[in-house]
Amino acid sequence: MKSKQTTLAVFALAGLLASTNALAEKVVKVYNWSDYIGADVIEKFEAETGIKVTYDVFDSNEVLEGKLLAGRTGYDVVVPTIDFMSRQIQAGVFLPLDKSKLSNFSGLDASFMENLSKLDPGNKYGIPYMWGTTGIGFNEAKVKEVLGEDVPLDSWDLIFKKENLEKLSKCGVAFLDAPTEVYAAALHYLGKDPNSEDIKDYQGSAPAKELLKSLAPSVTYFHSSKYIDDLAGGEICVSLGWSGDIAQAQADAAEADNGIEISYIIPKEGALLWVDMFGIPKDAENVEEAHAFLNFLMKPEIAAENTNEIWYPNPVTASLEFVDEEIKSDESIYPPADVKAKLYTATVKPAKIDRVLNRAWTEIKTGQ
Amino acid sequence: MANVSKFTKIVLGFGFFFLYAPMLVLIIYSFNSSERVNIWADFSFKWYVELFRDDAIMSAVWVSLKLAFFSASAAVILGTLAALVLARAGKFTGKTVFGSLVTAPLVMPEVITGLSLLLLFVAMVNSFGWPQERGFLTIWIAHVTFCMAYVTVVVSSRLAEMDRSLEEAAMDLGANKIKTFIFITLPIILPALVSGWLLAFTLSLDDLVIASFVSGPSSTTLPMIVFSSVRLGLSPKINALATIMILTVLTAAFAAYYISSREERTRRQGELINED
Repeated sequence: MKSKQTTLAVFALAGLLASTNALAEKVVKVYNWSDYIGADVIEKFEAETGIKVTYDVFDSNEVLEGKLLAGRTGYDVVVPTIDFMSRQIQAGVFLPLDKSKLSNFSGLDASFMENLSKLDPGNKYGIPYMWGTTGIGFNEAKVKEVLGEDVPLDSWDLIFKKENLEKLSKCGVAFLDAPTEVYAAALHYLGKDPNSEDIKDYQGSAPAKELLKSLAPSVTYFHSSKYIDDLAGGEICVSLGWSGDIAQAQADAAEADNGIEISYIIPKEGALLWVDMFGIPKDAENVEEAHAFLNFLMKPEIAAENTNEIWYPNPVTASLEFVDEEIKSDESIYPPADVKAKLYTATVKPAKIDRVLNRAWTEIKTGQ
Repeated sequence: MANVSKFTKIVLGFGFFFLYAPMLVLIIYSFNSSERVNIWADFSFKWYVELFRDDAIMSAVWVSLKLAFFSASAAVILGTLAALVLARAGKFTGKTVFGSLVTAPLVMPEVITGLSLLLLFVAMVNSFGWPQERGFLTIWIAHVTFCMAYVTVVVSSRLAEMDRSLEEAAMDLGANKIKTFIFITLPIILPALVSGWLLAFTLSLDDLVIASFVSGPSSTTLPMIVFSSVRLGLSPKINALATIMILTVLTAAFAAYYISSREERTRRQGELINED
């Protein structure tokens, strides 16, 4: 009898807790990458709106995608990268944004939004949060030593011209092992559509494939993370890599104080752009609060606060005046307008193209 | 030690080196003042201070410890029951099937376990509305599921070694089955239960993949925090945390060793006095 009473008491208590919870607090449940927001931003949001933020972190787009596709994630705001999001939009897992609740939406960079509309038609589902590029990281002193003082350091010529790369291979060259991105860069360099869906651009002796094949013997290795340490340590002198990773190599080298200085450029011809996007899952429970949260993050001062913390550029135009001078003036983070206009995004390609591309990539890497 | 060959000593040395050198490096770097995990600057305690200020990490530590405790406890109960059935219930239809089903999670790839549990939970909530929200409870269920398999294996082997005549003797002397189990069987297999519990505790503390799939809002575990911070570079806070964990475990192990050896000594002394 006693145990029955205890059980009852426990149930009553649990019920009480649940009901007070539901009454008292408005919440928004956010699922983001870790260390990807300004230190005080959440506190400020809670103070301003009275909405409590539950903040959880994930470690890969794949985990997020698994949860989104299974449904009922329990989250109100998630942050996939754009290529993943575009596939998820096609799968219908997102709620269309209610722009009437997003008064700061108009403050987003217009050209940027147009670029994104290729992947998110009409910008219906996603709000860009932070972005970065795939460009060239290099050790200026060593590159000049090999190629001469007046080598142009602002163009894909640096690594896509065979004679340049042959010389550079002496001090070490790394390419990303990411077929879509490297191949798109080659297509773009040759003046073709980087997102070409024409199978002829990938098969047989397509020019982009031939170009990469001719470069491959001079590439020390294809790898997507090793180059961070190697650039900072001086084992390689140039790398086709991601902006965030190369910024890390830069910081590593500066910290080590080993006399190595790493630079990053977004080549003037243009480069691939990746964007982390906010989206609201279709079955989110706190839709109202999710909109409030997203609107808050698009405030210029807040967006700038995030950028100042994590060193990635944000697409809120008016935030620029609040961004630290050191970040703002760094052209590898905030490229000049003419370069920015030439950035392109990767689209999701049909399975047939993916297959041919992967085969071509194997051929390139193995040098057949 | 005299009759231990040189070769054995070298092998032992290498073994210890590979086990403990990485931990030593990690502990040293936790006192590094630099932002980077791999470059030494100055000696400082700053990452320990930062660690205790980081609410996200601290709450993840708490979630993970709670989870590991409850998962291990439930896994020991269920795993022992399963082991008892397999060892004592005699022949019953489907015994082989049951035996292999219980231990199947041992060999199942984690991704498969995680994804299938996620799909199960989603299907359950769609058909009868429970569990409304994934979180602590669902991770607990998932962890109990795979930890139980390990406990079952550990306890089964202990049960197989055990001398059944002790149980039979107790029953001959009039103890019923429950009494026999509590006063004879349980004390004998207790070491297996303890090691099973510890094993389950570490497995649960360690698990990233399964927890990632079945977690929900405000149930981020420690491995999830660590792995997600890799994208923007690991913080030395993680080193500081690992150092604290290693030292805690070492202290506990030494304390246990000290207490048991002291007991042993007093017992021996007692025996000596008796002999006198």
